[in-house]
Amino acid sequence: MIVNGLLGGLIYVIMALGFTLIFGIMRIVNFAHGEFYMLGAVGVLILFGGFGVNYFVAVVAAGLLTGALGMIAERVLFRSVVGEEMPGMIMSLGLSIILQSIVLLALGPEEQTVARPFSGIWRIAGAVVPWDRTVVSISAIVVLVIFYIFLKFSRLGLAMQAVAQDPTTASLMGVESGTIYASAYGIACLLAGLGGALMAPIYTIGPYMGQNPMLKAFVVVVIGGLGSIPGAMLGGLLLGLTESVLSTLMDSTTALIASFGVVLLVVLIRPNGLLGRTVR
Amino acid sequence: MTAPLLLVEGLTRRFGGLIAASDVSFAVAPGEIFGIIGPNGAGKTTLFNVIAGHYRPTSGRVAFEGTDISGHASDEVGRRGIARTFQAVHVFKNETVRANLHRAAILARRHNPLAWLSRHPHATPDLEGTAAFLGLDKLLDNVAGSLAYGLQKTVGVGLAMMVGPKLMLMDEPAAGLNPSEKIAAAALIRRLRDERGISVLLVEHDMPLVMGICDRILVLNQGIPIALGTPAEVKSNQAVIDAYLGEDYEFA
Amino acid sequence: MKLRVVYGLILLLAILPWFIGSRYIFHIATMIVIMIPLVLGMHLMVRIGQLSLAHPAFWGVGAYASALLTMRLGMPPLLSILVGALIPSLMALVLGPIFLRIKGVFFVLLTFAFGEIVDLVFQEWTDLFGGNSGLYGIPKFSILGLRLTQIPHYYVLGLIAAVLIYLLMRAIERSDIGAILESLNEDEMLSRSMGANALAWRVAAFVVSAFVAGISGGIYAFYIGFLSPDPFGFQTIVDLIVMVTVGGAGTVLGPVLGAIVTVPLPELLRDAREYQLMIYGVCLIGFMKFAKQGLISFIVDKRSGA
Repeated sequence: MIVNGLLGGLIYVIMALGFTLIFGIMRIVNFAHGEFYMLGAVGVLILFGGFGVNYFVAVVAAGLLTGALGMIAERVLFRSVVGEEMPGMIMSLGLSIILQSIVLLALGPEEQTVARPFSGIWRIAGAVVPWDRTVVSISAIVVLVIFYIFLKFSRLGLAMQAVAQDPTTASLMGVESGTIYASAYGIACLLAGLGGALMAPIYTIGPYMGQNPMLKAFVVVVIGGLGSIPGAMLGGLLLGLTESVLSTLMDSTTALIASFGVVLLVVLIRPNGLLGRTVR
Repeated sequence: MTAPLLLVEGLTRRFGGLIAASDVSFAVAPGEIFGIIGPNGAGKTTLFNVIAGHYRPTSGRVAFEGTDISGHASDEVGRRGIARTFQAVHVFKNETVRANLHRAAILARRHNPLAWLSRHPHATPDLEGTAAFLGLDKLLDNVAGSLAYGLQKTVGVGLAMMVGPKLMLMDEPAAGLNPSEKIAAAALIRRLRDERGISVLLVEHDMPLVMGICDRILVLNQGIPIALGTPAEVKSNQAVIDAYLGEDYEFA
Repeated sequence: MKLRVVYGLILLLAILPWFIGSRYIFHIATMIVIMIPLVLGMHLMVRIGQLSLAHPAFWGVGAYASALLTMRLGMPPLLSILVGALIPSLMALVLGPIFLRIKGVFFVLLTFAFGEIVDLVFQEWTDLFGGNSGLYGIPKFSILGLRLTQIPHYYVLGLIAAVLIYLLMRAIERSDIGAILESLNEDEMLSRSMGANALAWRVAAFVVSAFVAGISGGIYAFYIGFLSPDPFGFQTIVDLIVMVTVGGAGTVLGPVLGAIVTVPLPELLRDAREYQLMIYGVCLIGFMKFAKQGLISFIVDKRSGA
């Protein structure tokens, strides 16, 4: 149960990090985030499931392709609405349903599955843990560590962090804002794509599979504080664990209402999230 | 001395550990032009924002016409008869000057959806007269955002006048103006008091303007009031001179 | 001038169903006039700078409430529609002061969560709402002994409601209230400094917009005669956003145009839902990219008002 929660949490973190990065830097609520997750999974479905490419290669390739697509989308679509909240939302909603319909046309409405690249279980302290989930969790941690190193030590990463904290410092960092937007959106989509690609063998794949993770990312980001990277990490793990605990204690409808209730409370008590910066 | 219009008593405002205003007390008499000055970071803006209802005081109180208004929201402060202008231009940029002034009047009169139940306590002045007073009568049908910066600031004063205030809080009325516009702004502030009977509390960087028009001045330094008096008294105050030492200020 | 042409065209479209006389056309026309109050409600929120995802839920509450008032309490249908619409406005009155303290993204999420919860309640509270299998046996609308049995009757009913609510919204837009709402949206700090109670005005707009959504729901319930939670979910949110975006949020006429253009789409593309999604997506992106003010901007200059 804890391991399930941890895995769910890690995926939420991966989703929420990208979501919060885009919002922090571009002030855009990326409703299309779930669809990039879905595209990552579809990438694995085609490469690994269809062409039999090695699973890890397929995951990385799917992630990179999704990231590239994200950069193109940023350049073509989102650049003109940076900083405008409502047009940004509408634009991303449009992109989201276009991507859904493309996949719907290409794959049909049936949910598909890919063969599990790993099978079997191992035991720890009496708990049974399937191997595939273990591999996915470890891969997710690797992705997060790489992302962390990128943020902490690369010039672009530092600039992105600075902009997310305070947009006015954008120009001070000496990195051109266009580059920051493109790389923020691209990296966020890369993360989402990797998340989807990693989860491909575990869940079924279909055009609407991204909606739930995107919603969760939204919730996590609101709990953690919009634009806050540590907030996204904390919020994601919290939500993953809470969900897995709640779903064993009560039925899923009650659990959903309860989690919305928690969100409502957080927003009312701390409108800027648990770790959000205060905006005056 | 008559009862003060605005009374600030022992007002303190902290942000975390930082004390932005410490134990500030002063009173603005009806018909007075009162200035608050101080070097950068002296806490002028904080003090202004507490009075205008943007921040709650940490301790102390603000009273207007004998009623405690500490911690009242900015719209409530506005309804009591305290109007304000902004340091940067705040006007409805896409509307004409006439529409701007009209909006100010209706915002004041119909301050909430049930406002016909409770009438606005202050009569709002007539639009044409206000425009003429400000010298905007020829520009009434121009779009506010298309006017020169100084004129947009004048429209901002017009918006505040349309509320029908007894006291006008002015946040750096001379900021961003050229020398001749500054002279006009000083004259306008004096006329607000002389011809319209509106008392003025202003926060300002521009020394000549403050010294020229204010009846009394409060000097803040690092949140602490260091002098209060007429321009002549303040200018010769040793603490004030020390506070400004090294800053590039001219005492006119 | 051009504006008059548009009004003329809309009038022509409004009477067109009688010339064609097909039930199918009447059905589409009826759906358009039912959607108009709903999208106008949504639009009022956009005018105050808030994207409300709660409106499909308000629509649903209005629909279920008016159906149940007549079915369970035997209320005359017209009264049920009016009373039924008061329930979503009451919800807006209670939730507004909480939700509307928060702007932008958080408001979007809160209203989304609210909509999801309402939809879940429709699904789970089967005794009252019939759950996923639906609420059957809603009687036909009747007034003064007149029973509406044919689709054209409902079209007339919907058309009257749509025209009245359009006129109401236009009156609000042109009145002092419209100027106040716009002022608050443009520069809240300035508007508040002049004494305007921003929250109270926003709550009022929320309540009115929930009311008209409820009216739309009531008419929908009596027209369709059967309610399931299905139409009150996320899909309708997308539809409404498309209508407002395509038509243009600048004036009250915009969303009406949006509804006229958008509502027939799913009917025309009934066999190809994936293409409908594609067209919606392309419309949203296209208008955001090239014409943020929507169709209406091709007809009238925003400044001259419509």
